[in-house]
Amino acid sequence: MENQSVPSKALTGLVLNIQHFSTHDGPGIRTTVFLKGCSLRCKWCSNPESIHPRPELAYNPVKCIGEKECGFCLKNVCMESAIYALGSVDPAGDKVRINWDLCTNCGKCVPVCPAEALYLFGQGMTVDQVLSEVEQDTTFYRESGGGITVSGGECLLQADFVAALLAESHRRGIKTAIETAGNVAWANMERVLPHVDTVLHDHKLTDPERHKKWCGADNTRILVNFKKAYETFPEKKFIARTPLIPGVNDDEEHIGAVLAFIRPYKNVIDYELLPYHRFGESKYGFLGRLYEMMDFTSPCPKILKRLRAIIDDAFGRRSPLSQE
Amino acid sequence: MTTQTKRIAINFGGGYVPGLNAVITGAVLAANEIGWETVGIRDGFDGLLFPERYPDGGLVVLAPPMVENLAGATGCILGTAGQSDPFHVRTINAENQVEEVDRSDELLGLINKERIEAVISVVGTRALSILWKLSRKGLKTVCVPKSAENDIAATMLSFGFNSALSFLADILERCRQAAQSARRIGVVEVLGEHAGWLALQAGTAVCADAVLIPEIPYDLRKVAAKLREKMKAGRMYALVVVAEGAKPLADLNVSRKASDPQMKAALSPGATDNEGFHVIEGSGQVAAEVALEIQRLTDQEATPLVLGQLAKGGTPTVVDRQLGLGYGVGAVRALNDNQSGVMVVFQPPDLKFVPMTEAINKVRTVPTDSEFVRIARALDISLGD
Repeated sequence: MENQSVPSKALTGLVLNIQHFSTHDGPGIRTTVFLKGCSLRCKWCSNPESIHPRPELAYNPVKCIGEKECGFCLKNVCMESAIYALGSVDPAGDKVRINWDLCTNCGKCVPVCPAEALYLFGQGMTVDQVLSEVEQDTTFYRESGGGITVSGGECLLQADFVAALLAESHRRGIKTAIETAGNVAWANMERVLPHVDTVLHDHKLTDPERHKKWCGADNTRILVNFKKAYETFPEKKFIARTPLIPGVNDDEEHIGAVLAFIRPYKNVIDYELLPYHRFGESKYGFLGRLYEMMDFTSPCPKILKRLRAIIDDAFGRRSPLSQE
Repeated sequence: MTTQTKRIAINFGGGYVPGLNAVITGAVLAANEIGWETVGIRDGFDGLLFPERYPDGGLVVLAPPMVENLAGATGCILGTAGQSDPFHVRTINAENQVEEVDRSDELLGLINKERIEAVISVVGTRALSILWKLSRKGLKTVCVPKSAENDIAATMLSFGFNSALSFLADILERCRQAAQSARRIGVVEVLGEHAGWLALQAGTAVCADAVLIPEIPYDLRKVAAKLREKMKAGRMYALVVVAEGAKPLADLNVSRKASDPQMKAALSPGATDNEGFHVIEGSGQVAAEVALEIQRLTDQEATPLVLGQLAKGGTPTVVDRQLGLGYGVGAVRALNDNQSGVMVVFQPPDLKFVPMTEAINKVRTVPTDSEFVRIARALDISLGD
């Protein structure tokens, strides 16, 4: 199926970050390309800067030189008056501040900041630009069986770019994986999956209403997409995943429902639970905006062990529980 | 020819502080006096933007008999807006994708359609910026400052502050008694991200041993030295009040560097974690940090307690009732003077009107040479410097 037409290499994607030596995003050592833009709003999202499908201003006050020494960004650069300083009354010295409610993310302040305290999250990159970064890690892929993983946000929102990127990766001998939550049009998924070796996909919650409550939209289309994907691409490896959030989805009912959904398909080779860690980080200073982040603790080790044992049993593996 | 009664609306941006109902009472009674009708918009602007959520209507006609006994009541009969913002309204599109859309034009159309000639909006610092953007798009509006932290510039006193202050003074008194009984150091964190008025005034009111505020970076060695002196004299407990925005004099984390090549100009928090490129702020952590360090420096058990948002609850004090009523009356007076884009401010002894821009991008902080600071120092309260 991979021989179908591949979009131009000159296509540009909105890339948030490229992370090297990742070990949690597919087999082996991987290079993960984070794309910007998401179709869900999960309350436990640990990458809020990946949510909006456009470049966003970020500000690192630690780097700011201050109004007295610099102050370029205060000199008629921002037409929205979104950058200001409090002068001597500011306990933080004379560092500038951002009024995020007035900021339009136009980015005009970025080039005038010599300290790079102001910068944009998200930049347009071509397939070649991404791959020249990714290929720095080729040796590690060979040793470990790794490759490129495209993540997000929701990478399938930029289906043409991802299809081109992964097709070119294959052409250069790099194994491919994606991370997706599946809340996209089927056409996007159909466009990309021919170029993917391993599909890491989320089953966050099974009940549509609960999914909507915690993730912003229901999962009806997600389930339809995944079922269709399992059936349409039997040669692909699918790995189901659940970010385990205490008090939200760390229960046997959800795990059982996911297992019932995936087990009929032999190409779904595993189901992983991802225990999350977040403590009291309710504000993300760098983007300034308040996100609907919930604070939660790690899943209880006992619960995690029990849920993993259920999965091991379902996959016919000897679970630690059955050995006890 | 008949002329229709002038119709104004009132709504509340941001969260709850004591005294919101008093503003409603003040505005409705004052508007009624000059023959205007007042309606309330539920939950910020949600009453207009999401009528389907309100089976009884997103607008409430506020008649004087409804509000005349309301001024001292807790809560807000119209609800508050939380973080909602008409410029970024979360919605699910036809593709089942979640996105934020700008509904500000639609909102202005709905206000017009409801024959609302002007909106009195009760705002904190964030809602003020949003309201200003609506004002620039043509909304006739007058705003009233609310802030439990009293950090809104241009006014000497935002309503909500006095109630929070009274509550904190009461609780701090109890904390000190508890610390005394347990022979411990109580470290209590209170609201005040940018301005330390609550910590300073409540801490002074109960003669705390130390008060740490954002305006005066602290050195805990100096605080500990003072506490140790008192302990030597046999006083084995202490009360330290910390504003959530208080910062140490020398931030050791400042040395963290992010050597980012061009490609890594955009970093994921998950990717950086310990690199410290971005700043993750979190209230509720200062008390724990300060308590731990003071315990280390004094060898006396120190217990942190975070009061945080609790200070924003409860019934309004008499001062906040009066302020709320006054601000409501002032807002109607401003509209009757045909003003728009202004904020009602209290500059004793007068209520005045200033352009909203007087308060945007500004914070009313504690001047380090203010009388409040001098009084605290005279009372032997350590300010950490």
